[in-house]
Amino acid sequence: MRRLLIRLYPARWRRRYADELIDLLDATGVTPWIAVDVLRGALVEHGRAWRSRVREGSQMTFHFAWRHPGAWALVGALLLAPTLLFVAASALAHEVGAPGLAAAVEPALDAVNAWRPLDLLLVVAPAVAVLAAVLPLLRLELRAGEGGTEAIVAVRVRAANVVVILAGLALGGFLLAHIVSESVLQVGR
Amino acid sequence: MVGTNDPGLLVLISLASGPRHGHGIMLDIERFGGTRLGPGTLYGAIARLEADGHIEPLPTEERRRPYRLTEGGRGELTRRLAPLRRAVETAIERVAP
Repeated sequence: MRRLLIRLYPARWRRRYADELIDLLDATGVTPWIAVDVLRGALVEHGRAWRSRVREGSQMTFHFAWRHPGAWALVGALLLAPTLLFVAASALAHEVGAPGLAAAVEPALDAVNAWRPLDLLLVVAPAVAVLAAVLPLLRLELRAGEGGTEAIVAVRVRAANVVVILAGLALGGFLLAHIVSESVLQVGR
Repeated sequence: MVGTNDPGLLVLISLASGPRHGHGIMLDIERFGGTRLGPGTLYGAIARLEADGHIEPLPTEERRRPYRLTEGGRGELTRRLAPLRRAVETAIERVAP
């Protein structure tokens, strides 16, 4: 736990103070209050390191899993899968009227509707999946210019990520429209 | 409890009586200030004071590194205490019967 907390600090800060901070945490123990304090300290040090680098004129690059876009597309697809399966089965059972499927899907629908967190999870999953697929395609560069800090956003395209993003948006849009129409119908009744 | 929430000032006050390592500073501040600094807050203050040249590290003793006040740090402490002293003196004058 102690080493995990220390790893939250910037590398340069860790090289200088990690041993001392670990020694202090050995003495104090790690209570929730201390964990929050160390976490806050790490955030402050990242802010200071960032400001110092921008002041020095060096470039800072922020990218999330830039090297592994495919792996994150897979994560996005896995996050989407349960919602996609659920929506597809519901649509087949109720809209298309596939024989026998309605009876098979109904208990699952009842279970989801009865347990609110699962319902919420299925609705939120497309948004999380889109985020997981989008972030590895973006890179933000900050550098100190003559007129202040310049931000350059780089976007790249990976087929697998684009497929997950489009599927996530379509599924999320469908669910949103469904929720809105259900609410309107309920209000109208 | 000392009427300041400035961890840097508390560390400077602690080191004014002699070198101390992190845990020693924390216990000393608790003793004279009645407030307990968290390890993240304490080392944030130590890092800033060291970067500003107000304190300096001494050789490590059994995994612990003591710090001491520099001349610049003593001057900084005096400068920071001046408005506090004025405030305390004014308050004492005003509440005195």
